[in-house]
Amino acid sequence: MSATERRLSDSRRPDSAESMRPAGSSDKRFRAARVSEIPPGSRKIVEVEGRSIGVYNIQGAFHALRNVCPHQGAELCKGLVTAAVVSSGPGDFRFEREGEIVRCPWHQWEFDIKTGCMVVDGKVRTKSYEVTVEKFGVSVEEDYVMIHL
Amino acid sequence: MQTSQAETPAPADKKSKAKRPIIDCDIHQISGLEEIKPYLPRHYRELVEAYGPAYPGGMHFNGGVGGRMADAYPEEGGRAGSDLALMQRQHLDRYNVAYGILTGEGYGIQATINYDYAAATCSAINDYTIEHWLSRDSRLRGSVMIPKQEPRLAAKEIDRVGGRADMVQVIVCNGATLPYGNRYYDPIYEACVRHNLPFTIHVGLEGEGINSPPTGAGYVTNYIETRCARPSTMAAHLASFIFEGVFERFPTLRVVLQEAGVLWLAPLLWKMDQEWKGLRVQTPWVRKRPSEYFREHVRVTTQPIDETPNRAIFDSLLDSIHADETLMYCSDYPHWDYDSPKQALPKLADGLADRVYYDNAAELYGLPPREKEAEG
Ligand code: FES
Repeated sequence: MSATERRLSDSRRPDSAESMRPAGSSDKRFRAARVSEIPPGSRKIVEVEGRSIGVYNIQGAFHALRNVCPHQGAELCKGLVTAAVVSSGPGDFRFEREGEIVRCPWHQWEFDIKTGCMVVDGKVRTKSYEVTVEKFGVSVEEDYVMIHL
Repeated sequence: MQTSQAETPAPADKKSKAKRPIIDCDIHQISGLEEIKPYLPRHYRELVEAYGPAYPGGMHFNGGVGGRMADAYPEEGGRAGSDLALMQRQHLDRYNVAYGILTGEGYGIQATINYDYAAATCSAINDYTIEHWLSRDSRLRGSVMIPKQEPRLAAKEIDRVGGRADMVQVIVCNGATLPYGNRYYDPIYEACVRHNLPFTIHVGLEGEGINSPPTGAGYVTNYIETRCARPSTMAAHLASFIFEGVFERFPTLRVVLQEAGVLWLAPLLWKMDQEWKGLRVQTPWVRKRPSEYFREHVRVTTQPIDETPNRAIFDSLLDSIHADETLMYCSDYPHWDYDSPKQALPKLADGLADRVYYDNAAELYGLPPREKEAEG
């Protein structure tokens, strides 16, 4: 099995996040995981308020994406995490923003983990589809990664 | 179809509330060399063990992961499309698939020049499919894989397994040496008619092995170009069927067009009708408007459903191909361009949805009518 397949098949059941709603806060905050559970370059799928959410650690910064692809509803966060592939012409392949792009497990649409936006080559696709993935705020408190809904 | 549906999709790991029973006309059970080897006669089994499969295919990179949905690989390991339990969990049960038509994989055998080996391999695929899939889930139906490059051997295989109740069509790849309306193939159509089996053309193997180049302009570099060229190959087959008079010679023959897209058929039907007005004298055996032959004899499956810039265009193109009679849903599970039963197509009016998701396929394949009480 390739490294890619191993990464893709890492789909243990999501853990439920624990509610932690600090007084006076407008948004709801949930413990998603201990920081140590999501080392840089990895992700964990958790369930928060009935929503499945993928929490990613990209070089020490946490990002959370709704685990539903806006195209046809696949579990987006089970997709391969990779780089943006760019080119100056046929036969030239360059990789940028390593580890910042998730490719949907079904039709391989690419999403920027940091923004939740679809990565596209041209304006047309962006306009037609207006794709974004629901994105949540994240903070780290006392060793916990918090998701803000 | 990519849609901007307002409703948020249910979390993908929640059990679907899908109530409408559906017939899925294109599910790929794996049927590669490893699976079928035990079903080959000793001579070929020893050869493939020593040398490998010896048939073409794989000229282009596919999509997804190994051509499959990344999450269709069994967690315990193994290949996508090899595990009935996963297929049941991930697709059949989850989406209330009442019947699924298995279409197999590895059509490369239909592009090899070794006719006898092709025939032995097709028999092995069919025996494996019957034993390993059809006998294990009563919702599944099979497609007869044939060595279509040698129509007399193909007819023999249809006669061998085509009479079974669980085999519901004959399947060939889109790539061919001659367009399918050519009389060269008549022994195949005679056998289809004998067993009342539709002849289904599934994309693939264009330009590979002994098949003609994937476009009229020659070979293309990238898989995406192959995908874009497939409708023109299928259009050539459809025009060939109609103008060579196949449907006049075989009035009960039905043909299914699979996976080359759907909506391009509308302008082709208009074009064929238009050309026929002035050129009919050259093919006077074509007695009806070409679009009427299409409506009567041809069915088309949805995946990959074309994405249109707006709903009105989508609806009017569906009308133009008489979708209420001709269009049948399919998913292409577990291939990477899978169309979700719930989200690939925009919401269709109830009557049309019943036809597309169930009735048209039930009528074509002789499957039991939809259980109306199951809806809701
Ligand atoms: S469902 Fe994610 S790309 Fe289609």
